[in-house]
Amino acid sequence: MLGSSFSADTSGSRARSALAIFVAPLVFLMAVGFVWPLIQAFVNSFHLNTSHGIDLEHWTINNYLRLADPLYLEILLRTLRISAAVTAITAVLAYPIALFIARLSPRAQSWMILAYVSPWLVNTVVKALGWTLLLRTNGVVNTLLLQLGIVDTPLRLLLTETGVVIALVPGHFMFALLPLWTAICALDPALSWAAGTLGATPSAVFWRIVLPLTLPALIAGLVINFIMNMTAFAIPMLLGGVRNMVVSMLAYQLDLISLDWPLGGALAVTLLAFTLALVWAGQRIAVLGIAGRAAKI
Amino acid sequence: MILAFNIVMLVVVLAPVVLVVWISFTPTASFVLPLSELSLRWYREALSYPGFVDAFFLSVEVAAIASLITVAATFLAAYGLVRYSPKAAPALMGFFTAPLLVPAVVFGIAMLQFVNRIGLYNRLLGLVLAHAVLVIPFAIRSLASTLRGVPEELEWAAMILGCSRIRMMLRVTLPLCARGLVTASLFCFLLSFSEVTTTIFMSGPSLQTLPVRIYNYMSDRIDPTVAAVSALVVFISLALVLALNMLGAFRRTGSRLYP
Repeated sequence: MLGSSFSADTSGSRARSALAIFVAPLVFLMAVGFVWPLIQAFVNSFHLNTSHGIDLEHWTINNYLRLADPLYLEILLRTLRISAAVTAITAVLAYPIALFIARLSPRAQSWMILAYVSPWLVNTVVKALGWTLLLRTNGVVNTLLLQLGIVDTPLRLLLTETGVVIALVPGHFMFALLPLWTAICALDPALSWAAGTLGATPSAVFWRIVLPLTLPALIAGLVINFIMNMTAFAIPMLLGGVRNMVVSMLAYQLDLISLDWPLGGALAVTLLAFTLALVWAGQRIAVLGIAGRAAKI
Repeated sequence: MILAFNIVMLVVVLAPVVLVVWISFTPTASFVLPLSELSLRWYREALSYPGFVDAFFLSVEVAAIASLITVAATFLAAYGLVRYSPKAAPALMGFFTAPLLVPAVVFGIAMLQFVNRIGLYNRLLGLVLAHAVLVIPFAIRSLASTLRGVPEELEWAAMILGCSRIRMMLRVTLPLCARGLVTASLFCFLLSFSEVTTTIFMSGPSLQTLPVRIYNYMSDRIDPTVAAVSALVVFISLALVLALNMLGAFRRTGSRLYP
């Protein structure tokens, strides 16, 4: 009785106004600090940059056309190449690691996950410093390789695309590992056991049961991983250098050095549209994957 | 085989952080490993460099204000969403977690143009606003799950006994959520303290947080001083991570802080 009298309260107009009061401060914060800035950049991207500021009188799509410059396309291509390489390596590494962690005791699992997550919580500049010290010509990696006799001359890793990829893989590995590990833990152990009793080898159990059931989770993680690679700033800047410019460094150049905000805004809008399209596609793949299997069963 | 593979991966993930800490104790001006002896020479150097000290206090200030604002506003919103469960709840939840979908570079560009437009460029308020928004998605997820764990019956009981809703929230809900509030605040603080990209784009020359100051220093030169200050950042971040772990923040059933 009491419960019902209170819950009746939740559907009335009084409840709606109470809800509005509770939600209002956060909606305000988001409106001012998130929606407005994005709209500002969006609006700026449709105006021309002049010597005395942005010309807000006239609308134009010129900035978007300027983004099709061959020089910018080369930068975009390099960004996609690096990001795809990192995501591909991550995809290969994710299963062995996630399966291994999922088989440990709950306590060991939480420590392993913490070990993979905590570097993400240390800022990227510190990690970039660490990778610089590792990858330099006289750095730790080259010293080890020379001492072990694997190479005769030090490898050039710093200020190359390879160096950026090497540093980004562990930096963003967690984004793929966490959803995959969660999905593997959520699998019913009876499935693998049942397959085993029917004569499936462990590799058959992996390829025909574990992989199809957890692939959507991995794909979701890989999409995030790819976006993070594409928009990383400090690692490509400090390890790749301006010779290996990626999109985020171009954005820095346009917005803070050339001070061409309309063009920078156009780049931001394009990047955001691309990101949202990727997230949407990733979710479609995940949903279709599940629906497709359900249809087969 | 698979164990060795995992150990290698873990080493690769942890190597840069561990190396920075290890090398920061070098007694010499070079980066030769292994160290002949441990020394705090470069820590003294780092702590006597005003640029780093100022930036550290700015970082703490921004992180503290931003996480307080966000946790306060988010707690109210989470209460509204969980207790009234309106039809709009999924849409509002999607809105509040939207900053996760916007890459830091894009948000940095947008913020730069916005703070210039409204005259907040190079001002603390602009930077705080950016950091507050960036941590909202983590705060709302964690606080919503905290509130779902508080039995509504206790709130009913308090109100039947004559508490007003505000008094009930202060005397019943808030104390029951204390742990969740501390967890969310610490996590928001940690995220803000580690934020690099957005801050580099929008903060302005006189508002360099510690990571930005380290970044600018590193763009110029790399010496053990920057390793020492980086190691201090690692210690602070690690202490916060361990505190959060003790609060149960990283348990899978816990407050869902993971992205």
